[in-house]
Amino acid sequence: MTAALGPVGVGFRSRRRIPATIVACLVVLAVALLAVLLGPLLFPDATKQDILSSLMPAGSPGHPLGTDELGRDILALTVAGAASALVGPVCVAVGSMLLGILLGTLAGYERGPLDFAISRWTDLLLALPVLLAAIVVSGVFGGGYWTTVALLILLFSPSDIRIVRAGVLEQAARPYIEAAQMLSLSRWRVMFRHILPNVSSLVITNAMLNVAFALVAFSSLSFLGVGVPPGTADWGRQLTDNRAIMFDNPAAVIVPAVLIIAVACCVNLVGDWLGQRLTRSGGVA
Amino acid sequence: MTGIEVAIDGIDGPAGPMVAAVAFGIEPGASLALIGESGSGKTLTAKSLVGLLPGGFGARGVLRVDGRAHPLDATDAAWRRVRGREVSLLLQDPFTSLSPVHRCGPQIAWTLEAKAGRRLPKRELDLAVAKRLAEVNLPARVARAYPHELSGGMRQRVAIAAALASDPRLLIADEPTTALDASNQAEILDLLRQLQLERGMAMLLISHDLGLVRGRTDDVLVMRHGEVVERGATATVLSSPEHAYTRALIAADPVLALDAERPDDALGNDADLGVAGRAPLISATGVVKRFGLRTVLDGVDLSIAPGQVVGVVGESGSGKSTLARCIAGLEREDGGSIVFDGRPLAPGRRSRTPEQMQIVFQDPYSSLNPMMTIGAILREALGVGGRRPDEVPAMLELVGLPADAAAKRPAQLSGGQRQRVAIARALAPRPRLLICDESVSALDVQVQAQILDLLGRLRDELDIAILFISHDLAVVRRIADTVTVVWQGHVVEHGSCAQVLDQPSEDYTKLLVAAARRDTTGRTTVA
Repeated sequence: MTAALGPVGVGFRSRRRIPATIVACLVVLAVALLAVLLGPLLFPDATKQDILSSLMPAGSPGHPLGTDELGRDILALTVAGAASALVGPVCVAVGSMLLGILLGTLAGYERGPLDFAISRWTDLLLALPVLLAAIVVSGVFGGGYWTTVALLILLFSPSDIRIVRAGVLEQAARPYIEAAQMLSLSRWRVMFRHILPNVSSLVITNAMLNVAFALVAFSSLSFLGVGVPPGTADWGRQLTDNRAIMFDNPAAVIVPAVLIIAVACCVNLVGDWLGQRLTRSGGVA
Repeated sequence: MTGIEVAIDGIDGPAGPMVAAVAFGIEPGASLALIGESGSGKTLTAKSLVGLLPGGFGARGVLRVDGRAHPLDATDAAWRRVRGREVSLLLQDPFTSLSPVHRCGPQIAWTLEAKAGRRLPKRELDLAVAKRLAEVNLPARVARAYPHELSGGMRQRVAIAAALASDPRLLIADEPTTALDASNQAEILDLLRQLQLERGMAMLLISHDLGLVRGRTDDVLVMRHGEVVERGATATVLSSPEHAYTRALIAADPVLALDAERPDDALGNDADLGVAGRAPLISATGVVKRFGLRTVLDGVDLSIAPGQVVGVVGESGSGKSTLARCIAGLEREDGGSIVFDGRPLAPGRRSRTPEQMQIVFQDPYSSLNPMMTIGAILREALGVGGRRPDEVPAMLELVGLPADAAAKRPAQLSGGQRQRVAIARALAPRPRLLICDESVSALDVQVQAQILDLLGRLRDELDIAILFISHDLAVVRRIADTVTVVWQGHVVEHGSCAQVLDQPSEDYTKLLVAAARRDTTGRTTVA
């Protein structure tokens, strides 16, 4: 009986309206994306220092959000900071997703010693405290933006590996995989053409959540002074640098802090919603 | 005014009206069977009576329980006061309707407490649960078991006990035995009938199987395409059906037609004769398979000649599916030999090619990749056999599907259509042996008959050998030339289909045949 309802149900759901919350989140993310793309055009010299106009409060002429101690315009700095706040986390999420897909699928489908090795490796990485490890590595290797990206990819990958592995384990036991084996298809074809599309909703949802986590991790590292070098436009960096002037120009701290929270929340909500939609459309039956 | 009165003005889905106006009444202590194939609207009708229609569906009408009217389009909050109290729903699948993480006792106790409206003292509750379990012929210790520790039949008994714990006025049983073995089906239905009579409760039994409701319901309602086509006393409808569709349903039912002559029987009683001159295509000798300490196959022999259909029957757990999977290479046997066309095959898939054999699995819902289109699925299988992708329409035609099915995904097809796709995929590499592992068990009788006809036709046209695994003797009788009966990993009987099923010589086979016949008391008046 459910079979008779299935076809109607599927067509019906795909025309479902997007909830207002998600629309709002998408708008926020679109604005952030615009800032990344247009920031360099709008404010080509955002990090230019001007001691003469230092510590101006919000609403000053020419500086709607005021300036910081070094006389940098907060608005320009914030818009320019969107790039480092978003590009890194997206790279981390995509990188750890790819690592997760590769290692997780191998572990879940091949089983045996390979699964054991990969699983113990993820256990090891999961046991490391992310921030502490990042601080130590930055201390030893000198830090820098892309070192941090690489490190976070490594530290974020265990959750991707585990999620993909669990999804693959579940799918690999299904008759359609045995049917593929009956056709003597190559293992790579079975893994990446048959199984992977069926775990894609899990993978994509998790990657979206990782963007939010990575954004917070980046900001925390910048705040602790180990992420991006001083002088770079970065929201986390702004928080550190402007702590001292919190009462002279509150906007210098509040604006980047609110943006970090807003973008992280929006990415999270969109990720959740996307995951539910993908699951319903048959990704994970 | 007592009893159940249902007046449905119509059920609408997102794609238009699904069920036309239906009205019926059930006296206390009486039962009504609602019969129809999938898509006939019988499950929608049942769900509308408990307010559980899927999203996008709406029902108009009214349900009266002992005179209390419940509008069918009531809010969910209103339904919650009716559902599980005045009306209980028993679902098809005891594997999903019980919570896997709770013991069976508490699952019955929840309803008892909900009905009492207060928390009951533990001792009182334990006693009440034990009493409910005894009602469905289960020992009290089942209360401490998790659902996965029980067999399918026992699980469905627990589900019945849970559904009846609120002492409902109406029990709606939606295909309550479809997921069970043949030997369990009759027991569960008899139990339902007995409980319903004892309690003076009304019962609505939904089924696609006319044979099963014989002698177990007072009245019957036959639905097709959302409309009632025939109604009346069960015995009358079964013995003298008026509508052509009801007659077709009775004719398509393999159990009701169990005694009907097979066309082949006239030619020569022993079907082995027809293929005696041909060397076996595949022969398995002394196959042994162990899972841990449990020996599932203990020296099983089987051989199939080209163009021959060999049926393997046995209850679930007898090892018949494991045998099929060892032959297909999906399991690695621990002993014995499997020879294909004179060449021994090592255990496992690697020694086998797709052109040698293919499998059609039981469940057409999980045997097709949900993310691939039918066209992509068939193109892949054709490619494996070295055939061109433009043969997809021809493959679809071969299994009786329209050409536009190629662009669809499995979710857009019905169970029968999906099974046809699975058969087309299995045939694409031109295998010489087709293994059907309970391939028609999950299908409605009508679809079952169509698929069996299709398999028979393919055997004649393509001269392939078929290994047909089933727990359903009636189905095996329809298609198989010879039958092998498997019990606890041993072959207990082997011979031509007519010989084994009509004059079984082993006790176990007699038991199986008797169980298959018990489903149809007074069958002779129908056939």
